[in-house]
Amino acid sequence: MSSRRSRSRQSGSATRISDDQIADLVSKLQRLIPELRTRRSDMVSASKVLQETCNYIRSLHREVDDLSDRLSELLASTDDNSAEAAIIRSLLM
Amino acid sequence: MRNPSSLKQEILKKWVMGLQICSSSKKEMTILERKKAIKLSADIAMASARNASKYWSRALIANASKQDENKALLDHILGCDLEKIKKKSSIVSIKRKKIVLRSKKILKKRVKNIGVASYIAKRLVKKRTQLLKRLVPGGESMDELSLMEETLDYIVSLRAQVDVMRHLANASMHLDHKVSSSMDQMLL
Repeated sequence: MSSRRSRSRQSGSATRISDDQIADLVSKLQRLIPELRTRRSDMVSASKVLQETCNYIRSLHREVDDLSDRLSELLASTDDNSAEAAIIRSLLM
Repeated sequence: MRNPSSLKQEILKKWVMGLQICSSSKKEMTILERKKAIKLSADIAMASARNASKYWSRALIANASKQDENKALLDHILGCDLEKIKKKSSIVSIKRKKIVLRSKKILKKRVKNIGVASYIAKRLVKKRTQLLKRLVPGGESMDELSLMEETLDYIVSLRAQVDVMRHLANASMHLDHKVSSSMDQMLL
């Protein structure tokens, strides 16, 4: 009997914990995203948070790509024997 | 909590390691090849910065290891951890699939007695969750809860990666200017 009780308690509380945890994570996410950080968490819907999260991740990916472009051009100068190349190279050593 | 500047230091250290490996293995690189090397090193550095403790980082590394040309880089940065990480990423995905099925059942139970507005909201959330899954490495095999946790960590890591790269790019640019102007002064 006690095992049945503990089993049903477990499955019930698992659903409850899931909901609360997801809500908590959504509000944490909201605080990370610059677009939504200043708005009150009860005024921003979960779908809005998800949408802005996707946009934010995409913009971060783009930034990494742009910076890789910039750096590939900057570091290309390490091929020649200038003092600048030596100093930039020493940054990497 | 976790120290953001120590994360950046870890990323920088491993990124620089990766860049050295790439430039030592191939002396003459086109700009495109160099860019790919820079980006790959940055991604591996970001993923391995905290010992690949998160699912997204293991997925990123596992995906990178699928291409032969990346093997040398991965071996150097991760060493013997690479095999462990690949194993861990495949085992976890089986566990997560069970959780995904269970959480889908929980969702279905709740949708039954809800009005139209909530129904539309839930579908919107579902659609956007699908998009998010495609953006986070390994997201496809995650349940909703894990997806949120992993996304939080992934965003923090991405921001650190961007900061590190931006600082190096700016420092290189400033060095370029400083050196060429001081060289001009020396030669005058």
